[in-house]
Amino acid sequence: MNEVLIYSTPNCVYCKLAKEFLSAHSIPYREIDVASDDKALEEMVEKTHQRGVPVIEIGDEIFVGFDKRAIAEALGITEQESAA
Amino acid sequence: MNYDLLIIGGGPAGVAGGVYAARKKMKTVLVAKEIGGQSFVSDDIHNWIGVKDITGFDLAKRFEEHLADYKEDIEVVKGEEIVRLEKAGEGFRATSDSGKTYEAHYVLLTAGSRRRKLGVPGEKEHEGKGVVYCSTCDAPLFKGMTVAVVGGGNAGLEAVVDLFPYAEKIYLVVRSEGPKGDPITLEKVKASEKVTVVPMAETTEITGEKSVSGLKYKDKTSGEVKELAVGGVFVEIGAVPNSEFVKNLVELNDRGEVVVDHKTQRTSLSGIWAAGDITDVLFKQNNISAGDAVKAVLDIYEHARKR
Repeated sequence: MNEVLIYSTPNCVYCKLAKEFLSAHSIPYREIDVASDDKALEEMVEKTHQRGVPVIEIGDEIFVGFDKRAIAEALGITEQESAA
Repeated sequence: MNYDLLIIGGGPAGVAGGVYAARKKMKTVLVAKEIGGQSFVSDDIHNWIGVKDITGFDLAKRFEEHLADYKEDIEVVKGEEIVRLEKAGEGFRATSDSGKTYEAHYVLLTAGSRRRKLGVPGEKEHEGKGVVYCSTCDAPLFKGMTVAVVGGGNAGLEAVVDLFPYAEKIYLVVRSEGPKGDPITLEKVKASEKVTVVPMAETTEITGEKSVSGLKYKDKTSGEVKELAVGGVFVEIGAVPNSEFVKNLVELNDRGEVVVDHKTQRTSLSGIWAAGDITDVLFKQNNISAGDAVKAVLDIYEHARKR
Protein backbone atom coordinates (compact mmCIF):
# COMPACT_ATOMS: atom_id res chain seq x y z
CA MET A 1 0.00 0.00 0.00
CA ASN A 2 1.16 3.52 -0.77
CA GLU A 3 2.65 5.39 2.14
CA VAL A 4 0.61 8.39 3.20
CA LEU A 5 2.48 11.58 4.02
CA ILE A 6 0.96 14.61 5.73
CA TYR A 7 2.65 18.00 5.83
CA SER A 8 1.14 19.82 8.79
CA THR A 9 1.56 22.46 11.46
CA PRO A 10 0.63 22.08 15.14
CA ASN A 11 -2.37 24.43 15.06
CA CYS A 12 -3.80 23.32 11.79
CA VAL A 13 -7.31 22.05 12.44
CA TYR A 14 -7.85 20.47 9.04
CA CYS A 15 -4.60 18.59 9.52
CA LYS A 16 -6.07 17.18 12.75
CA LEU A 17 -9.23 16.18 10.91
CA ALA A 18 -7.18 14.47 8.22
CA LYS A 19 -5.13 12.53 10.77
CA GLU A 20 -8.26 11.47 12.63
CA PHE A 21 -9.81 10.29 9.39
CA LEU A 22 -6.75 8.21 8.54
CA SER A 23 -6.55 6.72 12.03
CA ALA A 24 -10.23 5.89 12.03
CA HIS A 25 -9.66 3.82 8.91
CA SER A 26 -6.41 2.29 10.26
CA ILE A 27 -4.30 3.90 7.58
CA PRO A 28 -0.70 4.45 8.67
CA TYR A 29 0.77 7.83 7.81
CA ARG A 30 3.95 9.82 8.32
CA GLU A 31 3.60 13.38 9.55
CA ILE A 32 6.00 16.22 8.78
CA ASP A 33 5.76 19.39 10.86
CA VAL A 34 6.62 22.20 8.46
CA ALA A 35 6.46 24.80 11.25
CA SER A 36 9.65 23.38 12.71
CA ASP A 37 11.25 21.77 9.67
CA ASP A 38 12.28 24.54 7.27
CA LYS A 39 13.67 22.18 4.67
CA ALA A 40 10.43 20.22 4.61
CA LEU A 41 8.49 23.46 4.20
CA GLU A 42 10.60 24.32 1.15
CA GLU A 43 10.00 20.84 -0.25
CA MET A 44 6.26 21.20 0.26
CA VAL A 45 6.18 24.59 -1.44
CA GLU A 46 8.25 23.20 -4.34
CA LYS A 47 5.93 20.23 -4.78
CA THR A 48 2.65 22.10 -4.56
CA HIS A 49 3.52 25.70 -5.57
CA GLN A 50 1.59 26.92 -2.59
CA ARG A 51 2.01 27.58 1.09
CA GLY A 52 -0.99 26.04 2.82
CA VAL A 53 -1.51 22.95 4.96
CA PRO A 54 -2.45 20.17 5.11
CA VAL A 55 -0.73 18.71 2.09
CA ILE A 56 -1.49 15.01 1.84
CA GLU A 57 0.53 12.73 -0.40
CA ILE A 58 -0.92 9.35 -1.28
CA GLY A 59 1.48 7.55 -3.59
CA ASP A 60 1.76 9.79 -6.64
CA GLU A 61 -1.27 11.92 -5.82
CA ILE A 62 -1.00 15.14 -3.89
CA PHE A 63 -3.95 16.79 -2.17
CA VAL A 64 -3.91 20.34 -0.84
CA GLY A 65 -6.37 20.71 1.99
CA PHE A 66 -8.53 17.99 3.52
CA ASP A 67 -10.89 17.02 0.74
CA LYS A 68 -12.48 14.03 2.46
CA ARG A 69 -14.24 12.69 -0.65
CA ALA A 70 -11.17 12.83 -2.89
CA ILE A 71 -8.89 11.33 -0.26
CA ALA A 72 -11.34 8.56 0.58
CA GLU A 73 -11.48 7.72 -3.11
CA ALA A 74 -7.70 7.66 -3.43
CA LEU A 75 -7.52 5.26 -0.50
CA GLY A 76 -10.35 3.05 -1.72
CA ILE A 77 -12.66 3.89 1.16
CA THR A 78 -16.33 3.76 0.18
CA GLU A 79 -18.76 6.62 0.79
CA GLN A 80 -20.63 4.70 3.48
CA GLU A 81 -17.45 3.89 5.34
CA SER A 82 -16.19 7.44 5.11
CA ALA A 83 -19.47 8.96 6.34
CA ALA A 84 -18.46 8.10 9.90
CA MET B 1 -42.84 16.01 4.08
CA ASN B 2 -40.07 13.85 5.49
CA TYR B 3 -39.17 16.12 8.40
CA ASP B 4 -40.82 18.65 10.67
CA LEU B 5 -37.71 20.82 10.62
CA LEU B 6 -34.69 21.27 8.41
CA ILE B 7 -31.72 23.11 9.91
CA ILE B 8 -29.22 24.44 7.39
CA GLY B 9 -25.76 24.95 8.88
CA GLY B 10 -23.73 23.33 11.65
CA GLY B 11 -22.26 26.12 13.74
CA PRO B 12 -23.37 27.10 17.25
CA ALA B 13 -26.75 28.28 15.92
CA GLY B 14 -27.49 25.10 14.02
CA VAL B 15 -26.35 22.88 16.85
CA ALA B 16 -28.28 24.76 19.54
CA GLY B 17 -31.37 24.67 17.34
CA GLY B 18 -30.82 20.98 16.74
CA VAL B 19 -30.54 20.05 20.39
CA TYR B 20 -33.67 21.97 21.33
CA ALA B 21 -35.66 20.67 18.37
CA ALA B 22 -34.71 17.10 19.23
CA ARG B 23 -35.69 17.59 22.84
CA LYS B 24 -39.09 18.87 21.69
CA LYS B 25 -39.40 15.65 19.70
CA MET B 26 -39.58 17.49 16.38
CA LYS B 27 -38.41 15.20 13.59
CA THR B 28 -35.36 17.14 12.49
CA VAL B 29 -32.54 16.94 9.98
CA LEU B 30 -29.47 19.16 10.21
CA VAL B 31 -27.46 19.50 7.00
CA ALA B 32 -24.01 21.09 7.08
CA LYS B 33 -20.66 21.00 5.37
CA GLU B 34 -19.11 20.49 8.78
CA ILE B 35 -20.01 20.94 12.43
CA GLY B 36 -18.34 23.72 14.38
CA GLY B 37 -18.94 27.03 12.68
CA GLN B 38 -16.51 29.82 11.98
CA SER B 39 -14.56 29.34 15.20
CA PHE B 40 -13.68 25.79 14.18
CA VAL B 41 -10.24 27.06 13.18
CA SER B 42 -9.75 29.08 16.33
CA ASP B 43 -6.88 28.25 18.59
CA ASP B 44 -8.46 29.51 21.75
CA ILE B 45 -12.00 30.53 22.52
CA HIS B 46 -12.21 32.29 25.86
CA ASN B 47 -15.78 33.47 25.79
CA TRP B 48 -17.97 30.40 25.24
CA ILE B 49 -19.86 30.77 28.48
CA GLY B 50 -19.10 28.13 31.11
CA VAL B 51 -15.75 27.25 29.58
CA LYS B 52 -12.59 29.24 30.39
CA ASP B 53 -10.59 28.07 27.42
CA ILE B 54 -11.30 25.75 24.52
CA THR B 55 -10.08 25.24 20.94
CA GLY B 56 -12.56 25.50 18.11
CA PHE B 57 -11.78 21.89 17.31
CA ASP B 58 -12.73 20.68 20.78
CA LEU B 59 -15.86 22.82 20.84
CA ALA B 60 -16.89 21.28 17.53
CA LYS B 61 -16.35 17.81 19.03
CA ARG B 62 -18.62 18.71 21.92
CA PHE B 63 -21.25 19.99 19.51
CA GLU B 64 -21.17 16.67 17.67
CA GLU B 65 -21.38 14.66 20.88
CA HIS B 66 -24.31 16.70 22.15
CA LEU B 67 -26.21 16.18 18.91
CA ALA B 68 -25.37 12.49 18.91
CA ASP B 69 -27.08 12.16 22.27
CA TYR B 70 -30.36 12.80 20.46
CA LYS B 71 -29.80 10.67 17.40
CA GLU B 72 -33.29 9.17 17.69
CA ASP B 73 -34.83 12.55 16.95
CA ILE B 74 -32.28 14.42 14.93
CA GLU B 75 -30.48 13.22 11.84
CA VAL B 76 -27.16 14.96 11.23
CA VAL B 77 -25.91 15.05 7.65
CA LYS B 78 -22.32 16.24 7.24
CA GLY B 79 -20.36 17.01 4.12
CA GLU B 80 -23.36 18.41 2.28
CA GLU B 81 -23.95 22.06 1.49
CA ILE B 82 -27.44 23.29 0.69
CA VAL B 83 -27.34 25.28 -2.54
CA ARG B 84 -31.01 25.72 -3.30
CA LEU B 85 -34.15 26.18 -1.21
CA GLU B 86 -37.65 26.39 -2.61
CA LYS B 87 -41.26 26.10 -1.56
CA ALA B 88 -42.67 22.63 -2.04
CA GLY B 89 -46.13 21.48 -1.10
CA GLU B 90 -46.84 22.38 2.51
CA GLY B 91 -43.25 23.18 3.26
CA PHE B 92 -39.89 23.45 1.59
CA ARG B 93 -37.39 21.44 -0.41
CA ALA B 94 -33.66 21.95 -0.10
CA THR B 95 -31.10 20.63 -2.56
CA SER B 96 -27.48 19.98 -1.66
CA ASP B 97 -24.33 20.38 -3.74
CA SER B 98 -24.30 16.65 -4.37
CA GLY B 99 -27.88 16.65 -5.56
CA LYS B 100 -29.58 15.19 -2.49
CA THR B 101 -32.91 16.72 -1.44
CA TYR B 102 -34.48 17.27 1.95
CA GLU B 103 -38.12 18.18 2.53
CA ALA B 104 -39.47 19.70 5.70
CA HIS B 105 -42.40 21.73 6.98
CA TYR B 106 -40.18 24.35 8.52
CA VAL B 107 -36.68 25.60 7.91
CA LEU B 108 -34.16 27.19 10.23
CA LEU B 109 -31.40 29.02 8.36
CA THR B 110 -28.15 28.95 10.32
CA ALA B 111 -25.66 28.98 7.45
CA GLY B 112 -23.52 31.70 8.99
CA SER B 113 -21.05 33.75 7.01
CA ARG B 114 -17.69 33.43 5.30
CA ARG B 115 -14.59 35.61 5.14
CA ARG B 116 -14.86 38.72 3.03
CA LYS B 117 -12.29 38.92 0.27
CA LEU B 118 -10.47 42.07 -0.85
CA GLY B 119 -11.64 41.72 -4.41
CA VAL B 120 -8.45 43.16 -5.85
CA PRO B 121 -6.33 41.93 -8.74
CA GLY B 122 -3.85 39.30 -7.71
CA GLU B 123 -5.87 38.09 -4.77
CA LYS B 124 -7.51 35.04 -6.29
CA GLU B 125 -4.38 34.06 -8.16
CA HIS B 126 -2.33 34.06 -4.97
CA GLU B 127 -4.79 32.31 -2.68
CA GLY B 128 -2.73 29.65 -0.94
CA LYS B 129 0.42 31.19 -2.38
CA GLY B 130 0.78 33.95 0.16
CA VAL B 131 -2.81 35.20 0.48
CA VAL B 132 -4.26 33.82 3.69
CA TYR B 133 -7.69 33.99 5.34
CA CYS B 134 -6.94 31.89 8.39
CA SER B 135 -4.10 33.24 10.47
CA THR B 136 -4.31 30.53 13.11
CA CYS B 137 -3.89 27.94 10.38
CA ASP B 138 -1.09 29.50 8.41
CA ALA B 139 0.92 31.96 10.51
CA PRO B 140 3.62 29.31 11.20
CA LEU B 141 4.32 29.04 7.49
CA PHE B 142 5.63 32.60 7.30
CA LYS B 143 8.58 32.23 9.64
CA GLY B 144 11.17 34.95 9.26
CA MET B 145 9.16 36.73 6.57
CA THR B 146 7.71 40.19 6.17
CA VAL B 147 3.93 40.08 5.88
CA ALA B 148 0.93 42.38 5.73
CA VAL B 149 -2.31 42.04 7.67
CA VAL B 150 -5.21 43.92 6.10
CA GLY B 151 -8.02 44.83 8.47
CA GLY B 152 -8.57 47.39 11.18
CA GLY B 153 -10.73 45.50 13.63
CA ASN B 154 -10.24 42.74 16.19
CA ALA B 155 -9.67 40.10 13.55
CA GLY B 156 -6.78 42.10 12.12
CA LEU B 157 -5.27 42.67 15.55
CA GLU B 158 -5.58 39.00 16.43
CA ALA B 159 -3.93 37.96 13.18
CA VAL B 160 -1.02 40.24 14.04
CA VAL B 161 -0.74 38.54 17.43
CA ASP B 162 -0.87 35.11 15.75
CA LEU B 163 2.09 36.21 13.64
CA PHE B 164 4.28 37.47 16.49
CA PRO B 165 6.17 34.21 17.03
CA TYR B 166 6.83 33.74 13.32
CA ALA B 167 6.99 36.81 11.10
CA GLU B 168 9.98 39.10 11.19
CA LYS B 169 8.01 42.19 10.28
CA ILE B 170 4.29 42.87 10.15
CA TYR B 171 2.52 45.72 8.39
CA LEU B 172 -1.00 46.32 9.67
CA VAL B 173 -2.81 47.94 6.75
CA VAL B 174 -6.00 49.74 7.71
CA ARG B 175 -8.36 52.06 5.87
CA SER B 176 -8.96 54.39 8.81
CA GLU B 177 -6.61 56.34 11.04
CA GLY B 178 -5.74 53.34 13.13
CA PRO B 179 -6.91 49.90 14.23
CA LYS B 180 -9.75 49.59 16.71
CA GLY B 181 -10.49 46.69 18.96
CA ASP B 182 -10.27 45.13 22.39
CA PRO B 183 -7.89 47.12 24.59
CA ILE B 184 -5.94 43.99 25.56
CA THR B 185 -5.07 43.12 21.98
CA LEU B 186 -4.58 46.71 20.87
CA GLU B 187 -1.95 47.19 23.57
CA LYS B 188 -0.07 44.03 22.63
CA VAL B 189 0.07 45.13 19.01
CA LYS B 190 1.09 48.72 19.71
CA ALA B 191 3.85 47.54 22.04
CA SER B 192 5.49 45.30 19.47
CA GLU B 193 8.54 46.45 17.54
CA LYS B 194 7.70 44.10 14.71
CA VAL B 195 4.54 45.98 13.81
CA THR B 196 4.19 49.04 11.59
CA VAL B 197 0.67 50.38 11.23
CA VAL B 198 -0.10 51.71 7.74
CA PRO B 199 -3.18 53.93 8.18
CA MET B 200 -5.52 55.49 5.60
CA ALA B 201 -4.56 52.76 3.13
CA GLU B 202 -6.83 51.18 0.55
CA THR B 203 -5.38 47.94 -0.81
CA THR B 204 -5.42 47.99 -4.60
CA GLU B 205 -3.42 44.98 -5.75
CA ILE B 206 -1.47 41.96 -4.65
CA THR B 207 1.63 41.43 -6.73
CA GLY B 208 4.06 38.62 -7.32
CA GLU B 209 4.97 35.93 -9.80
CA LYS B 210 4.55 32.40 -8.44
CA SER B 211 3.90 33.68 -4.94
CA VAL B 212 3.13 36.95 -3.25
CA SER B 213 5.90 39.53 -3.27
CA GLY B 214 4.04 42.77 -2.68
CA LEU B 215 0.91 44.65 -1.66
CA LYS B 216 -0.01 47.86 -3.45
CA TYR B 217 -2.21 50.41 -1.71
CA LYS B 218 -3.55 53.88 -2.27
CA ASP B 219 -2.65 56.36 0.41
CA LYS B 220 -6.02 58.00 0.99
CA THR B 221 -4.54 61.28 2.19
CA SER B 222 -2.11 61.88 -0.68
CA GLY B 223 -3.74 59.81 -3.41
CA GLU B 224 -0.39 58.14 -4.16
CA VAL B 225 -0.12 54.45 -4.85
CA LYS B 226 2.62 52.81 -2.79
CA GLU B 227 3.88 49.25 -2.49
CA LEU B 228 4.97 47.16 0.48
CA ALA B 229 7.37 44.29 -0.09
CA VAL B 230 5.69 41.38 1.63
CA GLY B 231 5.70 37.61 1.26
CA GLY B 232 2.24 37.13 2.68
CA VAL B 233 -1.06 38.96 2.96
CA PHE B 234 -3.47 38.05 5.74
CA VAL B 235 -6.97 39.24 4.89
CA GLU B 236 -9.08 40.10 7.93
CA ILE B 237 -11.79 42.44 6.66
CA GLY B 238 -14.96 40.94 8.01
CA ALA B 239 -17.55 38.48 6.82
CA VAL B 240 -20.17 37.96 4.15
CA PRO B 241 -23.42 36.13 5.01
CA ASN B 242 -23.98 32.83 3.19
CA SER B 243 -27.39 33.96 2.03
CA GLU B 244 -27.15 33.78 -1.75
CA PHE B 245 -29.19 30.58 -1.87
CA VAL B 246 -32.18 32.29 -0.25
CA LYS B 247 -31.91 35.73 -1.82
CA ASN B 248 -35.10 35.27 -3.82
CA LEU B 249 -36.99 33.65 -0.99
CA VAL B 250 -36.56 35.86 2.07
CA GLU B 251 -35.84 39.53 2.61
CA LEU B 252 -32.18 40.46 2.84
CA ASN B 253 -30.81 43.84 3.89
CA ASP B 254 -28.18 45.74 1.92
CA ARG B 255 -25.40 43.71 3.56
CA GLY B 256 -26.99 40.49 2.36
CA GLU B 257 -28.05 39.56 5.89
CA VAL B 258 -31.39 37.79 6.38
CA VAL B 259 -33.80 40.22 8.01
CA VAL B 260 -35.48 38.67 11.05
CA ASP B 261 -37.98 39.67 13.71
CA HIS B 262 -35.68 39.67 16.70
CA LYS B 263 -38.45 38.56 19.04
CA THR B 264 -39.12 35.34 17.18
CA GLN B 265 -36.32 34.99 14.61
CA ARG B 266 -38.94 34.74 11.85
CA THR B 267 -37.85 35.78 8.38
CA SER B 268 -40.11 37.56 5.89
CA LEU B 269 -41.42 34.22 4.63
CA SER B 270 -43.79 32.19 6.75
CA GLY B 271 -42.25 28.85 7.61
CA ILE B 272 -38.65 30.02 7.55
CA TRP B 273 -36.71 31.15 10.60
CA ALA B 274 -33.07 32.22 10.80
CA ALA B 275 -30.44 32.67 13.50
CA GLY B 276 -26.78 33.52 13.84
CA ASP B 277 -24.36 35.36 11.57
CA ILE B 278 -26.56 34.90 8.49
CA THR B 279 -29.08 37.30 10.07
CA ASP B 280 -29.09 41.04 10.73
CA VAL B 281 -28.32 40.46 14.41
CA LEU B 282 -26.20 43.37 15.63
CA PHE B 283 -23.42 41.33 17.18
CA LYS B 284 -21.90 38.21 15.70
CA GLN B 285 -20.97 35.94 18.59
CA ASN B 286 -21.19 32.19 19.27
CA ASN B 287 -23.22 32.71 22.44
CA ILE B 288 -25.70 34.97 20.66
CA SER B 289 -26.05 32.61 17.69
CA ALA B 290 -26.88 29.74 20.01
CA GLY B 291 -29.38 31.82 21.98
CA ASP B 292 -31.14 33.10 18.88
CA ALA B 293 -31.43 29.60 17.46
CA VAL B 294 -33.05 28.40 20.67
CA LYS B 295 -35.49 31.29 20.43
CA ALA B 296 -36.29 30.28 16.87
CA VAL B 297 -36.89 26.64 17.70
CA LEU B 298 -39.18 27.43 20.63
CA ASP B 299 -41.17 29.72 18.35
CA ILE B 300 -41.30 27.03 15.65
CA TYR B 301 -42.54 24.55 18.25
CA GLU B 302 -45.34 26.87 19.40
CA HIS B 303 -46.24 27.63 15.82
CA ALA B 304 -46.34 23.95 14.89
CA ARG B 305 -48.51 23.08 17.88
CA LYS B 306 -51.17 25.58 16.82
CA ARG B 307 -51.31 24.21 13.26
